[in-house]
Amino acid sequence: MLGQPGIPQVGKVKVVTTSHTGLSIEHWADRCLEKLIHVAPGDNSILKDQAEAYREQIRIVLIYYMTQAIKSDRTTLYNLFLKQGHRDMAEILRKL
Amino acid sequence: MAFPSDTLTQSFVTELLEGGHDFQVAGHVFNIALYDDTTTMTAATATYPGAGVNGELAAAGNYTQGGQALTNVAPVWSSTGGTAAIIDFDPDEIFANATFSAMGALIYNTNGAANTTVCLLDFVTLQTATAGDFTIQFPVANAATAIIRIALP
Repeated sequence: MLGQPGIPQVGKVKVVTTSHTGLSIEHWADRCLEKLIHVAPGDNSILKDQAEAYREQIRIVLIYYMTQAIKSDRTTLYNLFLKQGHRDMAEILRKL
Repeated sequence: MAFPSDTLTQSFVTELLEGGHDFQVAGHVFNIALYDDTTTMTAATATYPGAGVNGELAAAGNYTQGGQALTNVAPVWSSTGGTAAIIDFDPDEIFANATFSAMGALIYNTNGAANTTVCLLDFVTLQTATAGDFTIQFPVANAATAIIRIALP
């Protein structure tokens, strides 16, 4: 992956697409984790095992709080729609 | 016809030596435009071909020709996964509520009139979003995988 020193190189992007929905909470939790914790490949030490276990714990926490954030936002939107007289829209949001 | 493999463009590498690209946070604005597999662009393509030209997607399904602006991350020296000067874009680029398919992308510099190219990115297979998110996920920003890197031994 490193290639020859001194030669500029381009990395590999990944494309993720969805149909009739947005990206999942799990997707965002994983992207967030990639920014927070990097475990180098090929290292088989106990430290690596601990780092991966820690990462999994953080992933669970992220998913939980992201889910709560979405629910909170839906509550805000539910009340906004209700206040504006869009009860049907509000109910759709509430049932999501 | 297949989309060309991932590559920096020849002009980009030359222009690096001329100080032609500023990846600082408040530097130049880099766009990412999407293409189908009819494009004939190669590493020798020096400038953005123009709106809808050379296989760029049509302005439909919430795609705007010319693409979207990326968010620069200041270049840094990374000692993770090797040693290299690296450039990253963060966050991932999302084309929201998208209904289109693409085979690859071109990153280009919008500074000045020339719209000089940076790199071609091959999606390998046709990627399709239908009333959903079309997300381009940049690799982990380290010396081994970052989107643009210049390594030293």
